[in-house]
Amino acid sequence: MGEVRRPFFLPGGGAPLPNHEEFPSRLFDLAGQDHPIMSAPSTTAATSITCGNCSAATGGAHFCPACGKIQPLPPGTDYFAFFGLQRKLALDLPELERRFHSLSWRLHPDNFMRASELERQLSLDRSSQLNDAYRTLRDPVARVEYMLGLAGMRKEGQKKQQAPPELLEEVFELNESLDRLREARESGENAAETAGLRGKLEAAQQKFESSLADADQELTQVSAQWDRALDSGTDDATKKKLMERMNSILNRRSYIRNLVESTQKVLAGT
Amino acid sequence: MAYSDKVVDHYEHPRNVGSLPKDDPNVGTGLVGAPECGDVMRLQMKINPQTQVIEEAKFKTFGCGSAIASSSLATEWVKGKTVEEALAISNTDIVRELSLPPVKIHCSVLAEDAIKAAIEDWKKKKEADQPEATATASN
Repeated sequence: MGEVRRPFFLPGGGAPLPNHEEFPSRLFDLAGQDHPIMSAPSTTAATSITCGNCSAATGGAHFCPACGKIQPLPPGTDYFAFFGLQRKLALDLPELERRFHSLSWRLHPDNFMRASELERQLSLDRSSQLNDAYRTLRDPVARVEYMLGLAGMRKEGQKKQQAPPELLEEVFELNESLDRLREARESGENAAETAGLRGKLEAAQQKFESSLADADQELTQVSAQWDRALDSGTDDATKKKLMERMNSILNRRSYIRNLVESTQKVLAGT
Repeated sequence: MAYSDKVVDHYEHPRNVGSLPKDDPNVGTGLVGAPECGDVMRLQMKINPQTQVIEEAKFKTFGCGSAIASSSLATEWVKGKTVEEALAISNTDIVRELSLPPVKIHCSVLAEDAIKAAIEDWKKKKEADQPEATATASN
């Protein structure tokens, strides 16, 4: 490759995930892995999956360990399992990238040009899931969101998922200022008011950008707590609490991100 | 995905946009938001304390067309209803009226939540007005 690997930072200027040394790379053995998470889709079936070609047990691997043929995706394979990783939030990113490159090379449809139609299809399926999985897992925020989704914590439209009330008032007011600025600009009158609103919005923008960085940092911290909880076999109630905390950080984050984006858009137009 | 005609109509001609005096003891304010999309919706209603009839309703929503249409429809529906009747409005009624697609159901949930939050706020104000009533209410 020869390219320099940049460390992956959280969007919004947060700290990189503090994990690289303490998270040794693991081997690709899906069958032997347990997935320590509550209400996880069952992966116990992985042990009983057999190769369609030679009937050897595959353990859900990409290729049959006996005959080497590409295998269909076992139902319920999640992105972590796809890479042979535990469902931990602190990922060794260089390791993830290595596995991504190695898998994309091995699963690439070009390798299956002369294979059966089934194998060509499997290569396409696995390659496309590989890309989705990599895109999701390499982003620390998307990774948390995905993990919570697997645990059934992020259902859209559910009443349980409330917006942070302490933010609503601010969000509403900022939106109103944005509206007023848009109107003032369109009417082209009252330059003084426009300038005043602009200053106010720029200050708000800075404030929200720093709240976004705070949210990212908090998410990193709780993610690390979550991983420690998995290692120490913490009880389900505590894990649930941690997941709820991550959920509410994500909710707050999406609010703030929207604000930052719409403020940027309006300010850019003035 | 295309919006239904009713959504477009409410979006282009929103009913009852605006605000009511927040500090008026007869005005209830519901401020709710949807975390998934960052929408924020404010629904206010002026309620007659004697008859419990909602005499005036206003909304302001920052969000997508479906969120605006849902809250606009909600203000139309609650006007003239009693508090009791307004609380019976469910998000599924809004979904049906506006033919909202599944991905926009959360907008209708938001509107229902806003109605409930506004009435809740009004009830709280009333209780605060009558200290003895608050004292007997177990918290």
